[in-house]
Amino acid sequence: MAGTTLKPTRARKPGCFALQLPALIAFAALLGLWQLLDWRQVYPAFILPGPRLVWQRFLSVVADGTLWANTQVTLIEIFGGLALGLSVAVVLGYLLAKSPALEQVVLPYLVASQALPIVALAPLLVIWLGAGHLSKIVVCALTLFFPVLVNTIVGIRSVEKGLHDLMRSLNASPWQVFTLLELPAALPVLLSGLKIGLTLSVIGAVVGEFVAADRGLGFMVNLARGLFDTPLLFVALATLMAIALIFYGLMTALERALLRWQKD
Amino acid sequence: MHRYLKLFSILSLCLLLVAVGCATPKPAAQVTQVKLAMGYVPNVQFTPLYVAKERGYFAAEGINVTFDYGMETDLLKLLGTNQLQFVIGSGDQVALARAQGLPVRYVLNWYQRFPVCVVSLAGSGINKPADLVGRTVGIPALEGASYIGWRALLNAVGIAPDKVNLQVIGYTQAASLTQKRVDAAVCYVMNEPVQLQAAGQQLNVLYLDAYTNLPSNGLITNDQTIKEHPELVQGMTRAFLHGLRDTIADPDAAFAIAKKEVPSLSGENEALQRAVLTACIKYWQGEPLGKSDPASWRSEVDLLRQLNLLAAPVDPESLYTNEYIK
Repeated sequence: MAGTTLKPTRARKPGCFALQLPALIAFAALLGLWQLLDWRQVYPAFILPGPRLVWQRFLSVVADGTLWANTQVTLIEIFGGLALGLSVAVVLGYLLAKSPALEQVVLPYLVASQALPIVALAPLLVIWLGAGHLSKIVVCALTLFFPVLVNTIVGIRSVEKGLHDLMRSLNASPWQVFTLLELPAALPVLLSGLKIGLTLSVIGAVVGEFVAADRGLGFMVNLARGLFDTPLLFVALATLMAIALIFYGLMTALERALLRWQKD
Repeated sequence: MHRYLKLFSILSLCLLLVAVGCATPKPAAQVTQVKLAMGYVPNVQFTPLYVAKERGYFAAEGINVTFDYGMETDLLKLLGTNQLQFVIGSGDQVALARAQGLPVRYVLNWYQRFPVCVVSLAGSGINKPADLVGRTVGIPALEGASYIGWRALLNAVGIAPDKVNLQVIGYTQAASLTQKRVDAAVCYVMNEPVQLQAAGQQLNVLYLDAYTNLPSNGLITNDQTIKEHPELVQGMTRAFLHGLRDTIADPDAAFAIAKKEVPSLSGENEALQRAVLTACIKYWQGEPLGKSDPASWRSEVDLLRQLNLLAAPVDPESLYTNEYIK
C-alpha cells in the first residue's frame, strides 16, 4: 500500500445523451404516430399534413430566407421584452419584498392586473404605442412580468433572519447584504422565475404579432392560417417550440453553473 | 262481481294503451338541422339571415337553422371536412382554400360590389389612387379581403407596391387615422368610414369596386353537400335570398328583427348600427340577386396567381355555381 495515493471516488454521472434519452424516445414515438396517421390518411393534409410535407415546407422557407427573417424579428421582440420585463419585475419585486407597506399598496393592483387577458390588452397597446416593435416588446414584458415579480419577492423573503443578523453584526453595508447574502440566497427561486419568464416571453411576442405585424413568427402563423397553408403553420409553431426549448436549456445550464456552490 | 270488475278494468286499460299507441301522430315532415357559420361576430351586417330565420323562410324549406360565428379560415376548414355544411365567407378565401385541396364552393353571391375602401381624413390630399404614392397606408393584415382588394387596386391603377409605405396595423384603422399614424387605411366600407363619419370626421373614401371586380362575401358550401343534398343547398339559397329581398325592401323592419338577435344593436349604438345597415344595403342591391359574375372569379384567380398566393392552379369555374339561384 505504501506509495499508493487514494483518489476520492466520484459517482459516475449519466451523460447528456442518457439524460435526454426518454425525451428522444417520446419524440420518436410521437413522430411515428404522426407518420402513421398520415399513412392511414386519417385527416386531409389541410387539417394534419404529414411529417414529409412539413419538412418540405421547412426546407422551402429556410431556402428562401423567410423563416430566418421572421425568426429574427421575433427574437428581437423577445429579447427586448425580456430586458424590459425582467428589469422592472426584479427591481419592483425587490422593493416590495423589502417594504411590506409598499407591497400592501401595490400588490393588490398587480394581482388584479393578472385577470386582464393579454390578448385583449394587445390591440390597445398597438393603438397606444403603434404597430412597430415597441408594442410587441411591451406585450412580451407584461406576459413574463408577474411570475418573475412573485419569484423575486419569495426569493428575497426566503433569506433566513439569522443570516441578516449575522451580516448586521459584521457591519455589512446594504450593498454587501444584497450581493453577498440576498442575491445568492434568493438565486434558486429567482432563476425558477426566470425560467418561467423566458418560456412565457415567446408567447408574449407572438401574441403581439397576432394583432398587427408584417414580420415575425406570429405573423407567419397568421399568414399560414389565412392562406390555408397548414404545413407552414406547423413550421412556424415548431420554430417557436424550438426557441422555447433552447431558452429553457440555456437557463437550466446557467442555473447549474450559478448554483454549483450550493452543491459543493 | 268483484272479479268481473277487475277483469273489465284490466281489459279497458289494455284497450286504452293500444288506442294510445295507434293514435301516436305520424312523424312530421323531416326537418334538417343546419348550423350556418359566419366569419365574424354577431353583427348587423348579417341582418338578412336574421330576417330569414325570424320570418320562417328557413323553416318553410324544412331547415332549422342555428347561427355560429368564428374565424373565417377555421370555419372553411370545418366546411372542407364536412363538419359544417354552410359558411358565410369571402370569395378570395374560397379560391385560396380550393387551391389547398378544400372542396368548398360558393353558391350565393351576397355582396354585389366589393365592399373594401381606402379611407383618409379630408385634407390629407388623397383624392385619387395616384395620391397614395409615397404615403403611409395602414392595412389590417397581409392576407384576407382587404389585402387582396388593396393589391387589386394597385394593379388596376398601375402603382408598384413599393411606391406606397404599407403598414400592418391590425384592426386599429380608426385610431391610427385619427392619431395620424397613417395617411390612409384599408377597411370595409360599412365599418370604419361609418364610425368616423358618425364621430364627425370628414373623410375621403376611395371605393375599390370602382377599380376592381372581385367576388366578396357569399354563401359557401362543400362538394359533398352539393352532391348528396342539392335540395338543402337550394332551400338555403332560397331562404337567404328571401331574407335579403325583405331587408332591402324594408330596412327598418329588418333592423328591428336584427336587434332581437343581437341585443347590442340597441341603446346608444342604435343610430350608428342603423347607418351600418344602410351602408351594407348599397352593396347588396343589384339584380339578379345572388348570382355570381364569372368575370369577377376570373379576376380573382388571375390576381391571386400574380401574387403567388395559390398553392396549386385553380379553375375559376370550380369555385362557384349559379345553379341554385333561381
